[in-house]
Amino acid sequence: MMLLACSREKEVKELVERGQWPVAEATAPDLHAHISGCRSCRELALVASAFQRARTEAADAAKIGAPSVLWWRAQLRQRNAAVERIGRPILGAQIFALAMSLLLAVGVAVWQARHGFAWLTRLQQAPQAATQYSDLQLSQWLGSLWSSALPNSGWNWMVLLSAGATLVLLGGAAVYLASERQ
Amino acid sequence: MAKRRMNRMPWEFVIPNAFASGPTLADAAAPPMDDQAFAGFYERSARSLWAYLARTSGDSALAEDLMQESYVRFLCAAQRPSHLAEGDVACRRYLFQIATNLLRDHWRRPRTSSIEEIPEDFLARSGESARSDSQMTLGPALSQMRPRDRQLLWLAHAEGYSHREIAEVTGLGSASVRLLLFRARRKIARLLGEEGGREP
Repeated sequence: MMLLACSREKEVKELVERGQWPVAEATAPDLHAHISGCRSCRELALVASAFQRARTEAADAAKIGAPSVLWWRAQLRQRNAAVERIGRPILGAQIFALAMSLLLAVGVAVWQARHGFAWLTRLQQAPQAATQYSDLQLSQWLGSLWSSALPNSGWNWMVLLSAGATLVLLGGAAVYLASERQ
Repeated sequence: MAKRRMNRMPWEFVIPNAFASGPTLADAAAPPMDDQAFAGFYERSARSLWAYLARTSGDSALAEDLMQESYVRFLCAAQRPSHLAEGDVACRRYLFQIATNLLRDHWRRPRTSSIEEIPEDFLARSGESARSDSQMTLGPALSQMRPRDRQLLWLAHAEGYSHREIAEVTGLGSASVRLLLFRARRKIARLLGEEGGREP
């Protein structure tokens, strides 16, 4: 399709914007005469004047609300977005803590399996120990249970420390989420 | 500052000054537009935005919804032009860009409206006899145009935007805008000519 634009289209557009078409022929008689003879300008004048009229009428008929409501809605949306942004690292920390806990649990299970779960057989004696042993015997029994569960004493503190750290991390996240809900 | 402290939300006590030290989403690019400046901008632009949305969609209730959403997105946008540096014209163009995208999203969405969603005065409005002159002539012609052509025509002939500005608002290339607008103008001129009973 050939784009046949007339060189006087800008003038025609300005004429329509000033509201001088199709009336007020006396203001620009040559342009009015040109519009009658030029198809492109005639189309432009017809379309532009129809749209200008429609815009004026529609703008007058518009029922617009209070800007304060929109302002408040935007503020609320920004706050929600910020809360979501702040919550993202916390969610990451929770996932990390969960992954570490699972890894630790699997590690401990594998480690215990290698030692044949010796502490389980000792644990079966618990009801008997609680009723029949004296305090001294009970503390000795607990000590033997501990050493059977963690035979290599060098690792004891490592395991306890990791478990404690995981608990603190999860506890912190839980406290934060509880206060956020409040 | 006192106002900010008064309006503090509960979670801000858990993470104090979460906003005070860092920029908000809107602060990231443009200096903040305060509520007074926004009210002024709204007064100057709301009517023409509503006219654009109502006439290109043919649905005044939808126009109202989309207009509100456009302003909220405008205020939340990180890449919003600066009201102070670039002025009303750039802000207005950006607002029309948001509205154009919202309209396009609306047209792309599958239609799933139920009877409950139709506003109560819908039928009364459809049968309204007191339609304006321009609605009587331009309305039927516009309804035969493709949605994108309606947007292009409105932006060019009602808002007076140049091809470059329309390209910016619609996301099309300047050359495409020129061609599409030429075809759309020819078509609507023919339709308006038929409506008016005369050759354009």
